[in-house]
Amino acid sequence: MITQFTKGFKKGSKAFGENISIIVNSLLLFIVYLIGVGIVSVIAKLSNKRFLDYQEKKSRDTYWSGLNLTQKPIEEYYRQF
Amino acid sequence: MYILGISCYYHDSSAALLKDGKIVAAAEEERFTRKKHDTSFPVNAIKYCLQSQGISANKLSYIGFYEKPLLKFERVLSQHLQFFPHSLKTFLSSMPSWVNDKLRVTKKIKKELKYKGDVLFIQHHLAHAASCFLVSPFKKAAILTVDGVGEWTTTSYGAGDANEINLMKEIRFPHSLGLLYSAITAYLGFKVNNSEYKVMGLSAYGNKNSRTNTYYRRLKKVIDIKDDGSYYLDMSYFVYQYADRMPSRKLCKLLGGGVRQYSEKLTQRHKDIAAALQLIYEEVFTKMLNYVHKETECENITIAGGCGLNSVANGKILQQTAFKNVWIQPAAGDAGTSIGVVSYIYYTLLRNKRTYIQDNAFLGPSYSKTEIKRFLENNKIKYNIFKNRQELIQKTAKLILQNNVIGWFQGRMEWGPRALGSRSILANPCNPEAQDLLNLKVKHREKFRPFAPVVCEDDALEYFECDKPVPAPTDFMLMVYPVKKKWHKKIPSVTHIDGSGRLQTIRRSQNPLYYDLIKEFGKLGKIPILINTSFNIRGEPIVCTPYDAYRCMMGTGIDYLVIDKFLVKREDNQKHIWDSEKSARD
Repeated sequence: MITQFTKGFKKGSKAFGENISIIVNSLLLFIVYLIGVGIVSVIAKLSNKRFLDYQEKKSRDTYWSGLNLTQKPIEEYYRQF
Repeated sequence: MYILGISCYYHDSSAALLKDGKIVAAAEEERFTRKKHDTSFPVNAIKYCLQSQGISANKLSYIGFYEKPLLKFERVLSQHLQFFPHSLKTFLSSMPSWVNDKLRVTKKIKKELKYKGDVLFIQHHLAHAASCFLVSPFKKAAILTVDGVGEWTTTSYGAGDANEINLMKEIRFPHSLGLLYSAITAYLGFKVNNSEYKVMGLSAYGNKNSRTNTYYRRLKKVIDIKDDGSYYLDMSYFVYQYADRMPSRKLCKLLGGGVRQYSEKLTQRHKDIAAALQLIYEEVFTKMLNYVHKETECENITIAGGCGLNSVANGKILQQTAFKNVWIQPAAGDAGTSIGVVSYIYYTLLRNKRTYIQDNAFLGPSYSKTEIKRFLENNKIKYNIFKNRQELIQKTAKLILQNNVIGWFQGRMEWGPRALGSRSILANPCNPEAQDLLNLKVKHREKFRPFAPVVCEDDALEYFECDKPVPAPTDFMLMVYPVKKKWHKKIPSVTHIDGSGRLQTIRRSQNPLYYDLIKEFGKLGKIPILINTSFNIRGEPIVCTPYDAYRCMMGTGIDYLVIDKFLVKREDNQKHIWDSEKSARD
């Protein structure tokens, strides 16, 4: 019975801990979103900067854009960007 | 030299192992974890790849990853910046996985595999391009990659020559043919990144005339298509750029109703929308291919990316474009990039001579006779043993002819989303009730969905209006062709409503047992064609182990399991506790 209680207690504590971490993480991320993303986004909007391609479509003859992705020195592939 | 390729964290995680230029093992993680389209780090698939060669991670010369995570992160951040404050919900849901996993790939790989060597990062569409060109039979070919999105690219084309790949042009996010298809898939009530092929199948029931299909005209407002096949989406019809949904209210209004609920009945309107989407897809795809041909002046085309699985459009490539030969990666979706990564490292970066052609998809795990026997006996499963190969072929063919449904578990598991004769459910295509029986009692899936025929390559032209010679992607069930009219009524279960069939051709060199079974069935029943559908139920990955196969058989209407040299009859065994009907999900 004690073992069962301990198991249940451990399980409950774990679930409680997980829920707390979700709440804390969400709160932190919300702050990051509001301050980090929000401020940059507002400044970008004020300066008319667009992060994605939303230009007027009729102005172009083609929507293909240059990529020119060819082999580079192997060192380039160690990078994550 | 061993090189391991990894693809994960988006959908269809996979691993592939290359040994001295040859792909020796490859598998999707979902087959081991039993979670369809599993996105997690493919620890089980990697374990299988390494065990198949009896090596540990320290024997690997390189590990390759299928994208540049920071470039992708840049795109994700750009979306949030562009759409602040609408993107809050997706920011909160997606950031933990970026912080914990996606931006720590190298650390994760080294920790999980206890690996101390080099990790290389190949751009997503370059990995797709390598997965189709470097393992194709062509020395020189044009390359087209079309998917939802990689880092930024959604569509790209270029050319390959010997070991070199040059991707010349691209279309960038948010404009994506793959995401357009997914958005309409979501609108029609199906699951994104899973059920696009259902929409393709549904399109055959709709009005395929672009002049009279009103939804075609409406959908043309959503996409601007240039003569060179490039396209631009009107993003006011979508919300996928910032939300966890895809169609916007404006798109719903355009299509005359809200998003269909899964339980809602499919009406002619839904079918016409699916047909309109397929028409638009084919229009863009054909224009793109013709433009790529003009630009590259190649007569061969290789294709990868999730859209490469659109077998209806693929079947028209050689008729409607100037290309003479085509090759498509059997795992054209993201899973295939792990093969692309290892091929790119070995052939392009390390400049080794190309020696490998991927002519079959049997790269997954297999189980020995001893292992299977042990499984059957340990679980007290009643079985019979075939005396020899000939008896196995003859008895199985006879059982199929008697309209039994057979679970066929032989040899190495297939690579890619299609069952190609290793983990297949086989049935008699001449039985007019087979389609309903398989859909409702075995697969528990939608009634409208057709079944695929498998035919020996040398018989294909007798029954199907294929290109001549039959293109290699047909071996991977990647091309839909019309069934010849005189056979429509004779093989009703594999003839779709529009008279087409998504056939698989098989060459004896690829799988002699499977080939001989089909031939034997032809001898007995006069038509050498079988129904071949994947050995699973709706929502489950294809079976991998003998246990998965037995469990699937016992929970469904499969009558017999032919597993290596053993024959297991469902009726001889106690009903399994698993209820497949309740487990079927989308």
